Amino acid sequence: MRKALPAAIPFLIVTLAMEWLVREGWIKAFLVPPPSAVFRTMIGDAPELFAALAKTSIGALTGFALSAFGGIAIAVFLSSSRAIQRAFYPYAVFFQTVPIIAIAPLLVIWFGYGMRTVVASAFIVSIFPVIANTLDGILSTDPALRDLFRLYGASPSATLWKLRFPAALPQILTGLRIAGGLAVIGAIVGEFIGGQGLGSVVDVARTQQRTDKVFAAVLLASLLGLALFGFINILSRIALRRWHASEQN
Amino acid sequence: MTFPRRTFLKILPAGLLAACGNSSKIRLALNWKPDPEFGGFYAADYAKHGLDVEILPGGSGTPTVQMIGAGSAEFGIIQADELLLARARGNDVVALFAAFGNSPLGIMAHASRHLESIGDVLKNGTLAIESGLPYARLLKRKFGFDHVKIVPSPGGDLTAFLNDENFAQQCFVTAEPLQAKRKGVDVKVFPISDIGYNPYTTVMAAGGDLVRMNPGMAKNMVAAVGEGWRAYLDNAAPANERMHAINPSMEAADYAEIAEAQKPLIESSPLGKMTTERWDTLAAQLKELGDIPQAPPADQCFRDL
Repeated sequence: MRKALPAAIPFLIVTLAMEWLVREGWIKAFLVPPPSAVFRTMIGDAPELFAALAKTSIGALTGFALSAFGGIAIAVFLSSSRAIQRAFYPYAVFFQTVPIIAIAPLLVIWFGYGMRTVVASAFIVSIFPVIANTLDGILSTDPALRDLFRLYGASPSATLWKLRFPAALPQILTGLRIAGGLAVIGAIVGEFIGGQGLGSVVDVARTQQRTDKVFAAVLLASLLGLALFGFINILSRIALRRWHASEQN
Repeated sequence: MTFPRRTFLKILPAGLLAACGNSSKIRLALNWKPDPEFGGFYAADYAKHGLDVEILPGGSGTPTVQMIGAGSAEFGIIQADELLLARARGNDVVALFAAFGNSPLGIMAHASRHLESIGDVLKNGTLAIESGLPYARLLKRKFGFDHVKIVPSPGGDLTAFLNDENFAQQCFVTAEPLQAKRKGVDVKVFPISDIGYNPYTTVMAAGGDLVRMNPGMAKNMVAAVGEGWRAYLDNAAPANERMHAINPSMEAADYAEIAEAQKPLIESSPLGKMTTERWDTLAAQLKELGDIPQAPPADQCFRDL
């Protein structure tokens, strides 16, 4: 409770300020809805909104899981030699730069309407930070420790799994934190074109000029992002608390 | 190269001013890229009526009706049903000039399916529409969506349509069917007005405040646009050339062909004029669908200047 308090204060201030600005007529309600209207919509349309949230969660989490495992595997592969890195790393950058909206019609052709397009979209936008951070972590092992392993004649695979990979965990977790938020965005973009979940709710509500409902859906999406972020923080605490400064004290 | 800080400070305000644009210009916001649907707005000679107008091209989902309400454009292109929704949400927007007396909105399907009516389109396959639009719910109420898979509209993109014979999609009857034919696919087109839903489309609207406080400007704008559309109907070539320069993604030949194809939808009623009956009918339909709590009086929705 005491930990949540600092975060709750800015939320309360912004919410109350917005409510006041709209009520006083400084902001028009059809441009930015008063928070009270957003909460009313969230309760009134709860069944529709939460069913949509469930779908979006599945899409985002699946995409995120694929990114996490795929991204780490690709980074380990890339770290195996300079030549492999030079040959393949530029293609990993492709994932970071692909304009998802531009290839959206193709995603639908390849994966069909529905969940698979959503997962593909979440995966495409979230894998790069995992690859980049993991690779960076694996390649920046403390040289003194590396020498120690060499001195004791450790095999390359033992060096990777006992030294380089564990030492890279802080960076890997940073990559996952970034990927989590991106996976939620990617899932919603996928839903704009694939047609389901919160993306679809936003799309329809926007056409109907229901800004209150748009905000309600966006708020739920950010809660999903926050939950994912919290989950990765717990992982990070478990993995790092014994040895890394970022999780001590 | 080093960039002297002082030079930067000198350039900065100039850049900011340029970014804000000339505030004395009257802005007309489009809800799509320049194409023949907006021909008359590009053909208009605004200067002749003492107006300095800047046309702002839009794209998929450009919220022109909110832009008018927010004051980020003095005039905007909207559809009649959007205006009724906006008014019901407290956004005081007034229609001034309707380019399309008959709605060009339709559904296109592959001709090879031998469909006879919109009802047939909904019997199987996939239909891509903007589910938020009132006509989508009218379709659902009339025919039900139990046998057809409803997916989001790809907004003019034909990839899925060309790829799947059982795919039908929302279109402007004057635009996408032509492009499909160019790609070698025979299409059958069903106008939405077939089911009795026919909102004025490509309507120029302005905020209620502007119309009340500056009726002269609104009147001049309507006059300029009316003449522009007359000129465009007589000879579309000059405006088409200008629009093609801004939006070259559409072939020059398409501009000419669409301009010709859309004429019947524009000339079906006195150019730009709207009637109380049509607004009342539409308002009643939206109320029936539950989109608006009550039908507003038609004279609040449009003005004949």
